[in-house]
Amino acid sequence: MIPPIDTVITAETPEGIAISMRAAGYPVRSMAFLIDALIRYTIVSGVATTLGAGGRVGVGVLLIVAFLILWLYPVIFELTPAAATPGKRAMGIQVMMANGLPLTPAGCLIRNLMRTVDMLPLMYGFAIVSMLMRRDARRLGDLAAGTVVVYRDRASPTGDFGPGDPLPPPVPLTIRQQTAIAAFGWRVNRLTPERAEEIAVLAADAVPGAKDSAVAARLVGIARWQHGQRLFMPRSPAEGQT
Amino acid sequence: MTPFDFQTANQGSWKELENVLGQRQRDLDPDRFLALYRLCCEHLALARSRGFPLHVIERLSSITSRAHQIIYRQSDVGLARVARVLLEDFPATVRRLWAYSAVAAALLMIPTIAIAIATYLNPDLILSIVDRRTAEEFEQMYSPAAQAIGRPRDIASDWMMFGFYIKNNIGIAFQCYATGVVFGLGSLFFLLANGVFGGGIAGYVASFGYSSTFFPFVATHSAFELTAIILCGGAGLRIGQSVLLPGRLTRVAALEFAARETSLIVFGAAVMLVIAAAIEAFWSSAPWVTSTAKYVCAGFCWILVLSFFLRRPRAK
Repeated sequence: MIPPIDTVITAETPEGIAISMRAAGYPVRSMAFLIDALIRYTIVSGVATTLGAGGRVGVGVLLIVAFLILWLYPVIFELTPAAATPGKRAMGIQVMMANGLPLTPAGCLIRNLMRTVDMLPLMYGFAIVSMLMRRDARRLGDLAAGTVVVYRDRASPTGDFGPGDPLPPPVPLTIRQQTAIAAFGWRVNRLTPERAEEIAVLAADAVPGAKDSAVAARLVGIARWQHGQRLFMPRSPAEGQT
Repeated sequence: MTPFDFQTANQGSWKELENVLGQRQRDLDPDRFLALYRLCCEHLALARSRGFPLHVIERLSSITSRAHQIIYRQSDVGLARVARVLLEDFPATVRRLWAYSAVAAALLMIPTIAIAIATYLNPDLILSIVDRRTAEEFEQMYSPAAQAIGRPRDIASDWMMFGFYIKNNIGIAFQCYATGVVFGLGSLFFLLANGVFGGGIAGYVASFGYSSTFFPFVATHSAFELTAIILCGGAGLRIGQSVLLPGRLTRVAALEFAARETSLIVFGAAVMLVIAAAIEAFWSSAPWVTSTAKYVCAGFCWILVLSFFLRRPRAK
């Protein structure tokens, strides 16, 4: 089988189905990190200003606060139900166990302790190399803890192909071809017509005889047919139920 | 069956599972929930293998993964569990991995003792370890004339030192642990380096005849501090071994296993270091406590720590 080229990672459940998650890559995670860094900096400097008058006890408390912010900030926020620091939440990503389950306390602790190594040799160098080299974008701490950072919300396709008539496939299609055409049919509404045509031309073999300008429309027709639409039937199961 | 018929026939159960997922967890009817979950898993597998359209697969995988998270969620961590982890699982893990702690202890203590003897005999050697200003600072910190033992003249607040010890010592312990992932080299380096530094200071201060302040100062909190750093270093060596010699597992799987095995040790060691910081800031440095009292307390603490790890009933 051809390895997938996108960043979907899967975890198998005891029921034998694969749960798929969309890994968050280096750019979005570094944005989240910057937001968190800003928040941490604000807290520490705020405490420093307030406690400036507190004398030496104040300095002691400040050191403790700095310690807590350094080590416990991510741990505490990632153990909330959102499983994300404020930065991650703002970027729409969260931490999960790699087996598709909610983050466990041990996993959270390990992935944040291992930051010490990810920071090496300089500016999170190990973490960046590890994230860029792996398709699931896990840093060393994630590998040790068995965790993964994924996008929280997923696009929810509606199955609405837009206006048009179903079209029987002119040649028999393999299951992979069918899947690709069905996926194209769902995405076509979100593409400009020119881009849709560009992509559709790659599948021109599946629709022999189509004019150069109408490959996309014919593919969508085939997607409808595969979905089970026929000319004499309602357009969607929702209509069919009534 | 076309995807259309499939969806028409089954979307009732999908909708029902979606509604159930929206409810509070307490109100769930477990049998119905599990039955729906298994049914939807079956539908998802069918839809995938038949290459059904994306929106059907996406909808099914979204509801099954949400249900999966609820069904297989691990039980919550309560205070009772934290206490059990600290008092039973922590020493049991330490005992099981005792060989790593023994190696770490040797790596820390051999340079400590060797360098301490060397700087005691030849105090000038300290300058190869720290610069002149730091050496002078240490000399003055442990002078019997010091206002509070073990800290620079201008810093006199117990609370400030408590904060400093927490930030510094726990940081060192975490470093000893986590850098072990670099084939154990990081743990090796930090253990040796801390041994050289600590031994150097001890020998240097003792060579001035300040033993009567220095040793009572370190005796008590070192029961917690040294032990915790040795445990973290040992855990780091275990991590390094998993990466260097993964055995029959892949390196990543071996690392994951070793990290889970040793995470308890780091958690327990962090608690020990907070205790050590409190003792170091409020008790060890107090000049009004006599050396005898400090030694008695130190002996008690060492016995407490050692028996904590050696005498607990073995975990099943």
